[in-house]
Amino acid sequence: MTQTLDVAGRFPQLDSARAIEAPAAETQTRSKVGTFAITFGIAASLLYTVYERLNWPLFTYLPRVNRVEFWLYRSPPAESPPMYWYGWIVLAAASALVLALIATAVPAQWVRRATVFGCALAALWPTSLGALRLFIDWVSFNADYLNSVWIAAIPALVGAAAISYFAPSQWVQRTWTNWLMIVPISGLIVLGYSLQQYFVR
Amino acid sequence: MDIIFDYIRVDTFWKILLFIHFALAVALLAAVTLQSVAVLMPARQVAGNFVDRSPVPAVSLTTLIIVLYVLQALMGAWIYIKYRIYVRIPMEQLRHWWTLGSFEEKEHVVTMGLFLLPAYWYFWRQPLSAADAGIRKAVTVFLAFCVWYSFIVGHVANDFRGVGAL
Repeated sequence: MTQTLDVAGRFPQLDSARAIEAPAAETQTRSKVGTFAITFGIAASLLYTVYERLNWPLFTYLPRVNRVEFWLYRSPPAESPPMYWYGWIVLAAASALVLALIATAVPAQWVRRATVFGCALAALWPTSLGALRLFIDWVSFNADYLNSVWIAAIPALVGAAAISYFAPSQWVQRTWTNWLMIVPISGLIVLGYSLQQYFVR
Repeated sequence: MDIIFDYIRVDTFWKILLFIHFALAVALLAAVTLQSVAVLMPARQVAGNFVDRSPVPAVSLTTLIIVLYVLQALMGAWIYIKYRIYVRIPMEQLRHWWTLGSFEEKEHVVTMGLFLLPAYWYFWRQPLSAADAGIRKAVTVFLAFCVWYSFIVGHVANDFRGVGAL
């Protein structure tokens, strides 16, 4: 006769026993390491998606001539193809590293609210731009001056600020680690959608 | 590099590198799959108070997975230079769009997995936290997805032009 037992079910006993013995300093270090690792994961995934979509590499590598150019370099045919992937990764990792270090120095509640703000902004900004473009197509007068990422940023910023301000503290606290899955998966969907040209030919 | 090329041909060197990349991928695939199975399937308990261990020592695989993943990402980034010139361009000319698009997505999948490694390491630190059991499981399964996707797509690209390809 056998029965199943969830491995995770045995963890509380282990944790509580060790937690009693663990000094406060160790718990605090663990918490800072956790804040760093989780913030880095969320920020790097989000920023990588943004940098790839905006095509902002820190550098461009030209494999045919074995040369590196700073930022985005539109190579002439003789030097093509340019490779931007390395530049996106390095820029996203460096930016996320700075954000993760800052996150370890500020109160945890701020970090969690800032995460909600960043993720909401990342979702609202392209949505706002898309809505603006639909509006421009729909109206009868010339509204081309509205077709700007910076104008689209205004409602996105207001919306993200409102969401992060009014979101209940418990929800912000509870969902923080979930962003670690939501952001990379959403990023992969966005990046995958941008590759549709290859799949619909 | 030139010293190496005095002894072996350039294409042979890259094929050896590609084969090592493949061999390490198999090891990573095995490790991350075992760990994912361990977190997804509950351990069995035999009759009485005799508690059996998990069928796979999941925690012990963490460091191995991180080391292999980083090593593979670095090797892949190196081999990618040759892919960009000698594989991707003929792929475009022969209109293998699905293979090309899938490989483009592979770059992003590998990157997302790489960025999650610090959090993955943190969630698997001893003593394991019961509060993080859900997210630990999710991150582990996501990493397994990244490795499986990369392995399959990489294998298809290799079949186009790589070790053993015509």
